[in-house]
Amino acid sequence: MAILNITYNGQSADCPIELDGAVSDVDVRRIAVELVRSGGVAGLHLAQLRDDAFNHYVVDRFDSPGGLRIYLRPKVPFGA
Amino acid sequence: MRIVFCGVGALGSTAAVFCRNLEATLCFVDFDRVESKNVLAQAYVKQSIGRNKAEALKLQFQNFFGVKAEAFGVRLVADNAEALCGTADLLVDCFDNKASRELLSGFARKAGKPLVHAAVSGDGTFGIVRWDERFVPDAEDQAGQATCEGGEHLPLIGLLGTTLARTLQDFLKSGVRRDAMVSLNAVTPTAG
Repeated sequence: MAILNITYNGQSADCPIELDGAVSDVDVRRIAVELVRSGGVAGLHLAQLRDDAFNHYVVDRFDSPGGLRIYLRPKVPFGA
Repeated sequence: MRIVFCGVGALGSTAAVFCRNLEATLCFVDFDRVESKNVLAQAYVKQSIGRNKAEALKLQFQNFFGVKAEAFGVRLVADNAEALCGTADLLVDCFDNKASRELLSGFARKAGKPLVHAAVSGDGTFGIVRWDERFVPDAEDQAGQATCEGGEHLPLIGLLGTTLARTLQDFLKSGVRRDAMVSLNAVTPTAG
């Protein structure tokens, strides 16, 4: 069990997912598209989400006391 | 305690304003100048247009808040990193490009300095505050890509700037290093 957090269009939500072993970044993006399309992520239901919606997104992985957390998020290059 | 803000554009200048009460000497590093468009997106006032951003912020701190700060109106490069950041107790990265973030990270790791990064997405809907040990810089889509020139991302910049300020406050108070993700509907503490 892992928690996948998806941030899209200013909204951010957690979704528990079952993973069989390690998943690649490409897999995470594909899983996220399916979850969002199916309404599996609370507050982020977009049935017409494009296949490539997360292509340029970054996948972060952190171990936490509750297990693996995966964050799928937009790139953040800016500050100044 | 000496805190060095590297980059005082939209995010750095906003966060610095919310750090003005910290028991620390704030130092600003930025080579850029305040342009008229910046006053809508950054913590600069009309009277600062034309000045170097680091110098302008230092002057505004003195004139508006009676708070003394230090300014270095230069670009951070490998040759001056030690001179600019060597006496810092805490480094804050608010740069706008991957190369500068990497340079600062490299210096901080070599020198054993605590470093926290803050960064925002190009569309102004999302940002992160993340300590260096868990941070990997993202590249801009195009070199020199602009963001938030007209202040359209101010709500997110405000949220992210205040989250960064609270992160610094917590670090000064107890040494805790909290990460956060910031979107327009939530500020979410993240694992780490």
